[in-house]
Amino acid sequence: MIIEISHFLSILATGLFFLVGYFGLFIKSHNTKYFSNLVARTYSHGFLFLISSFIIYIWLAITDNFSVEYIASHSNSALPIFYKISSIWSAHEGSMFLWIVFLSLWGFIFNIRVHNDEILKSKSIGVISFVLVGFLIFLLWTSNPFNTILPIAPLNGADINPVLQDPALAIHPPTLYLGYVGFVIPFACAISFLLHGNSEIKWELLVRKWSVAAWIFLTAGITLGSWWAYYELGWGGYWFWDPVENVALMPWLAATAFLHSLSVSIKSSQLRIWTILLSILVFSLSLFGAFIVRSGIIDSVHSFANDPDRGLYLLAFIGLIIFISISLFILRLSNIQSVSKIQKFSKQSFISINNILFGTLIFSVMLGVTYPLIYEFIFGQKISVGAPFYNAIFIPIVILACIFLFFSIESKWSRNINIRLNIPILLSILFSTIFTVFVMIFFQTKNIAILCSIFAGALIIFRYIQEILNYISVKKFVNPFSVIAHMALGLLIISIAFNSLLSSERAMNVVFNEAEKYKDLTIVLKNLGVENNSNYDSVKATFFVKDLKGNSFNLYPEKRRYFTRGQITTETAIHTTVLRDIYMTIGEQLDDGSWVVNIQINYLIRWIWISAMLMGFAGLLLIVSKRYKT
Amino acid sequence: MNPIRKKRVYNILTVLLFSVSGIALILFSLNSKLDYFFTPTELMNKTFPIDKRIKLGGMVLNGSVKRASSNISFIVTDYTNRINVEYEGILPDLFKEDSGVVVLGYLNNQTVYAEEVLAKHDENYMPPNIEVINDN
Repeated sequence: MIIEISHFLSILATGLFFLVGYFGLFIKSHNTKYFSNLVARTYSHGFLFLISSFIIYIWLAITDNFSVEYIASHSNSALPIFYKISSIWSAHEGSMFLWIVFLSLWGFIFNIRVHNDEILKSKSIGVISFVLVGFLIFLLWTSNPFNTILPIAPLNGADINPVLQDPALAIHPPTLYLGYVGFVIPFACAISFLLHGNSEIKWELLVRKWSVAAWIFLTAGITLGSWWAYYELGWGGYWFWDPVENVALMPWLAATAFLHSLSVSIKSSQLRIWTILLSILVFSLSLFGAFIVRSGIIDSVHSFANDPDRGLYLLAFIGLIIFISISLFILRLSNIQSVSKIQKFSKQSFISINNILFGTLIFSVMLGVTYPLIYEFIFGQKISVGAPFYNAIFIPIVILACIFLFFSIESKWSRNINIRLNIPILLSILFSTIFTVFVMIFFQTKNIAILCSIFAGALIIFRYIQEILNYISVKKFVNPFSVIAHMALGLLIISIAFNSLLSSERAMNVVFNEAEKYKDLTIVLKNLGVENNSNYDSVKATFFVKDLKGNSFNLYPEKRRYFTRGQITTETAIHTTVLRDIYMTIGEQLDDGSWVVNIQINYLIRWIWISAMLMGFAGLLLIVSKRYKT
Repeated sequence: MNPIRKKRVYNILTVLLFSVSGIALILFSLNSKLDYFFTPTELMNKTFPIDKRIKLGGMVLNGSVKRASSNISFIVTDYTNRINVEYEGILPDLFKEDSGVVVLGYLNNQTVYAEEVLAKHDENYMPPNIEVINDN
């Protein structure tokens, strides 16, 4: 009964959202005040129904209601409550449900935060509602999480994949989804701006904080995913250029370009066409990500079960959204020409260059993701595109972007000032050169890509340090958000460069109580124990590790076998210091009694995530700051 | 042509030139950096430059896994032909005899020297292009 109530509430919400969409977009009335109130209230009711449905669904999961097919196949009564809840988004139907609830949540917050007098509000809510209807029909029709196993429900559930029983993974998908669907706000406002067709309306100002908020979630979601893959999967990297990582990276790149472009459009009503196109692009890429993950069209560790129906529906839906947005955009193109030309060497000019560079990156990633499909279709040969391709594209473009960023710090809004080689610029170049040469000699490397990256990252950091010093000494104005985010970018590039320069790994055989040497470490296998836990058995090794400076610590890598699925997982052991991680996984026992272990020394890997979080922090500061009211 | 139109044509041509050459560059670098995916049969009697990375997909032959310290060798089969694989390192958790595997490495003398060995996170995963009738 309670399942049906939950199911019915979602259907009811679908109907209400359809009405909101219809009222918001198609009814022309003289009594606009009445209608905007009606749209706002009906939307809130629709949201109330949907969120109640979801809360009941969570309740069903907590109380182990295995007559729900989805819960029966992805949860288990032995799981802690936390994982019972997170099992909802461990597979397709439930995660789609969560995705939709988040989408409606953004709409709801927008609905209550933005005043009904706002000219774009009703239409924006209408657009959001139609997107919601599209997704809800998709959910209820092709992937219904409310399907039941009746009359006899199974006694226990099939359990959630043990790799997914992890706090970071319980938080990572929701964070990422909040980021993806958050871009429905700028998208909806851009569309309703186009529908109005009056170029006087400042839709850009309305969406600034919303876009930054969504961008923060996207940044945090990607970072969490990277961190989780690092310690859970046992491969030890932070980025694998897996198709699913790429489809999360594309909206992030588009969103970053969008935020930059947005700032220009707000400041001086320029680059408006870029901004609108980017807002459509970000949202389309988010939907494209959903399509890639859901359709199983591309082989990936993330892909859910393959179902052509779902893929086809999503593709058609995304196609429709893109078609309508672009047609509308072309219709209104003549209305939204920018007011004035962009001055050479102004901030605006640098941001247009940034747009082009980011566009190139997005295009390349898109090509890398789709090329295997195209290639197989044409030549009948299976291929895959890996890290070498992405490195070849990203390294030069990011370095180029850093150099433009470096010179843009000097530039002014709407003014052409000659960029001279003044003292801050020369000092930064000098310091960065010294630093790079030092790295080259000290680490004996001639790798151009790494040295150039280190130089580019250092340029930015040294340049901004001088800006900060200028601010402290002579109160020269700095934009704190830009300073933090861009310094984080510099730090990110330097960390990645050092990580690939210094990190190393080795597989070795170890015998009990015999010291093995690797780099500056001495490793001894001290103990090996079998542990029995409530839902798994494990073999847990104790390694004693000592470095040359005399620091010593223990590492406990594990191998687990989970009962319900018989799945074996590797638990890594990581020792973290400021500059490096000692990362250890244990393999199998050989016939002579020795064990295979893999040891990695990963330099600055924590700093990669710290810099990404710093970027997010800059966004957070912007949201709470009083400088920007909307 | 009047000057304004002329200027516009030049602008469009410049943009076109840049985007076409940019796309050409990207495609060029893409083509030189692809990993080709093969089954053992497709790999028979083929030679590649020693530095050309390939992907081999198939099933691990029953009883073929041999270990000598941390070196591992096994045979990948598509039930028609067989290819030897040499690898140094830890095999993934889901690596099993008689189940699917993807090997990334370099081919030399009909042996693939593996850089990476992947087994899918899905226990029912089958490498593409292989149809297995029985799974005893």
